[in-house]
Parts: sequence; structure tokens; C-alpha cells
Amino acid sequence: MAIKDNIKPTRSELIELKKKIKLSQSGHKLLKMKRDGLILELFAILEKAKDIRAEVEKQFAVASQKLAIAKSAEGVVVVKSTAFALKDTPKLELESKNVMGVVVPKIQASSVHKKLEEHGYGIIGTSSRIDEAVDSYEILVEKIILAAEIETTMKKLLEDIEKTKRRVNALEFKVIPELTEAKDFIVLRLEEMERENTFRLKRIKG
Amino acid sequence: MGNTVKYAYIVARVRAMKSKLIPKEMYPKFLNMEIPEITRFIGESEYKNDVEELGKKYSGTDLFEHALNQNLALTYRKLIEVSQNEANLLITEYLRSWDIWNIKTIIRGKFSGAKEEEILEDLVSAGQLGYRDLLEIIKVGTVEGVIAALEGTPYYPALEGFKGNLAEIENNLDRTYYSNIIKAAEDTGNKLFLKFLRTEIDLKNLKMLFRMKRAGMERDEITKLLIPGGMELKANDLARLSSLTFPEFVRALEEYSYWEAIADISNEFTSLINIETRLDKYGLVYASRISYYYPLSVLPILDYILSKKIEVDNLRMIVRGKETTLPEEIIKAHLVM
Repeated sequence: MAIKDNIKPTRSELIELKKKIKLSQSGHKLLKMKRDGLILELFAILEKAKDIRAEVEKQFAVASQKLAIAKSAEGVVVVKSTAFALKDTPKLELESKNVMGVVVPKIQASSVHKKLEEHGYGIIGTSSRIDEAVDSYEILVEKIILAAEIETTMKKLLEDIEKTKRRVNALEFKVIPELTEAKDFIVLRLEEMERENTFRLKRIKG
Repeated sequence: MGNTVKYAYIVARVRAMKSKLIPKEMYPKFLNMEIPEITRFIGESEYKNDVEELGKKYSGTDLFEHALNQNLALTYRKLIEVSQNEANLLITEYLRSWDIWNIKTIIRGKFSGAKEEEILEDLVSAGQLGYRDLLEIIKVGTVEGVIAALEGTPYYPALEGFKGNLAEIENNLDRTYYSNIIKAAEDTGNKLFLKFLRTEIDLKNLKMLFRMKRAGMERDEITKLLIPGGMELKANDLARLSSLTFPEFVRALEEYSYWEAIADISNEFTSLINIETRLDKYGLVYASRISYYYPLSVLPILDYILSKKIEVDNLRMIVRGKETTLPEEIIKAHLVM
């Protein structure tokens, strides 16, 4: 075996290997705990993601209907003209937070859902059809921003769970067994060398 | 010359024009038709020339909407052209709301950096400012330039001093429109026109009060935007209604005649759209009723102006509603008949 070819059967190597095995075992234990913790986090976020996705779909249907009503009752010309009055775009600030060592985004949005008097167009010359279309789309954008935060967090958690799982498996099925095998080999070789020495000494005495 | 004689000619013209409006019995039939069927019907009606003229530029429901708008604009401009003296003055003043609409669209377009063609598409030259006047204004590069180009017009006082707050000048324009038209009506001494106008102001104020109250706006902000000069809703009524909470405000409306229009839906406030549609219907019924009482006055003309607008709105509601697959009950609820 390749590992045995590269190993020097010495006591110092044995001590070194024992240290590595101990480190790998504690690393394996910690990574397993991290993986389980991340899975628990993922399940919690999964529920939120499902809820927000359903909310986005529902709000999209509401907003589409409100816009259709505004376009039909007021006319596309009125909707387009009113849309010209809206110059402000939502401001997004991207921060990050740490979930069990995984850096996930936190999106802070401002100027999304505005008050009636802050929409940019005059109140006297417009109608509630326009207000309701604007409101429902603003709420939709807010929900999309929240969904983006939750779904990105979920994606990052999934990537990290996959990575941690690979590390746990590598430690459990490759690194630790190989190190243990190498340690056993050195112990065997050292015992053999010990026996050879004893035999040689006996022969010299005889 | 007596008032009745002054209006005889224009009222006769308006009667003839009104007879060409689509009868309200047709709307339920349109609801059962497909869009191509409705478009064909419209293409063979009073809108024929507009559909043919705009057919090269637009297609589908866009063609339909632009043809309706063009026809509305030409009809209103025809009213200005065929009327004389007091009737002409009052019609011109009343239709200035379209000039205001166009000015707002141009300023909004310039504010957002829209292209000239984009702005031009959204104009409806149904007021005193013709297509060429509007084209000249659009060519000016900035909002400030547009305002300067309007110097000397009745709209300028509302626009000067623009400091970047678009909503403020839009509201100023609308308030100036109403104060100018009340002044014009008072100058002519036409009490019927004033009565009609004051009712329209009441309905406008009511719709705004519903929106602003539900949005939780402060009393001072509300009173700043309300239009003075209403029929039933005088300054003290508006001040009182502005200071009430939303449920109190709704209860307080029981004192006014407009309550009958909304009484049965006064608990449904998830959307204000139904309330607005009911108040629009009230306005139309009111205009039609008083125009019968005074057949040789400015009222039949105003009734026609409203009826024509409602016809365009109804047709658009049906076709756009069908295009966007709105449920039939929603389309029906928005039809003003």
C-alpha cells in the first residue's frame, strides 16, 4: 500500500501519527456537530423560504390584478404618465451575518413601501386605482427582497452543509482509517524490530 | 340675448352628438364578445376614422386605446370650436383639465428623463392646448424650460417656484384649475355651471378624503390639499372631516346626500376602488338629471362631456380588462352606466 511505502517506522513518526489521529478525531466530531447544526438551521430557514415564496406568488397575483385594473380603468396612458413621476429607486444595503461560521447576506431596504404623499405624483389628479397598484407593487418588491435574503441564506447553508458533509466523510472514511492503518503498521514494525533486536542479542550472548 | 337662446345652437349640436354615443344596453353585450369582435364593432362606429388613422402606428388593444383617446380629444376640441361666447368660455375653462393633464405628463416625462416620443404618446390634446402647442413644449429640454415656456398661461402661477417637488406642483395645478374655473363661472354669473362644478368638487374632495384618511395623513396635510368651493362640503365641513378618524369620517358622511351612493358598501374598505366608482356613477347620474331640468343651458353640454368620457372609459375597461384576463365581475363593477 502507498501509505506504508512512504512511512518511516520510527517512534517519532508514531508519536506524530497519534497526534494527527487525535486531531482528526476531534475535528471529525466538531464537523459532525457543525453539519447537524447547519441542517437544523436549514430546516428552520426552509419553512421561512416556503412561506415567503408563497407570499411572493400571492402578492404578485394581487399586484398584477391591481395593475390590470389601473390600466383598464384609467388607461395605459395614465399609468405610464404616473410612472414617469416616480424617480426614486429603492435603496438596498447589503450586510452580512454569521450562522455557525457561514456568512449569509442581510439586506436592508429603504424607500420601498412609501406613504401616499411620498409616491411622487399629485394626490388631487390621481385615483385610488393608481394608489393601490403602486402600493401592491411596493409590497411585492419588499417581499422579493426578503425572499432574496432567505433564499440566498438557504443556498449558502446548503453549499456549506455539502462541504462539511464531504469533510466529515473524508475524515471518517479516508483520513482517520489511513492514519490508523499507518499507526498499526508502525507499531507492528517497531515490535518486529524489537523482537529482531532481542534475537540478535541472544545470538551474540550464545 | 337670454341664456336659453345663447345655448340653443350648441345644445342642438350636442344632442346630435349624444345620440351617437354607444347605448348603455350595448355594454353587457360587449362583455360577452371577444376582443376582435369588439374592435370590429368599434372600427365600424364613430371611432372608424381614428382606428384607420392610427392603424399604421399601433395594433391590438394599444390601437384601441389610442383611437378612443384621439376620438375623445377631437370631440372635445370640436365642442370648443362650435361653441360661442359664454358657452365657449365655460367649455374651454372646463376642458382645461386636459391641458393640466398634458402639462403634468410633459413635466413628469422631463423629470424622469423620458424620450420625446414616449411623452408624446401619453398626451391627449382634448383641451385648449393643441397638439402643435404641446409638441413645442415637449421640445424644451428640462422641467424648468417647460415651466418657462408656459409663462403667460393660466398655469404658470402654479408652476413657478418649482424646487424639485413634483407632487406639489401637480397639486398646485389642480387647485389652480378649480379656483380659475370657479372664478370664470362667477364672472359669467352662470349659477347652473357653478352648481355642477361645486358638486364635482365635492365628489373630488370626498374621493381624496377617503384616500388620505385611509393612508393616515395628518389633518394639516389633508386640508392643504382639499379643494375649496364645494356644494355641500364647505370649508368648515372639510376641516371637521379632516380631523376625524377613518371610521368617524365614514359615519359623519351619513349627513350628506352623497351617502346614498356608497351606503351599501360603506363597510368594505379593503379597497377604495368601489367607492370611487360609485361616486363617479353618482356624478354622471347627477349631471344627467340636472341637464333634463335645464335643457337649454350649459348642463346638457357638461353632461355630454361626462358621458363621452364615461363611454371611452367603459370601452377601455372592457377591452383592457379582457386582455388582462380580469374576472367579468370586476370589469362589470368598474363600468359606469
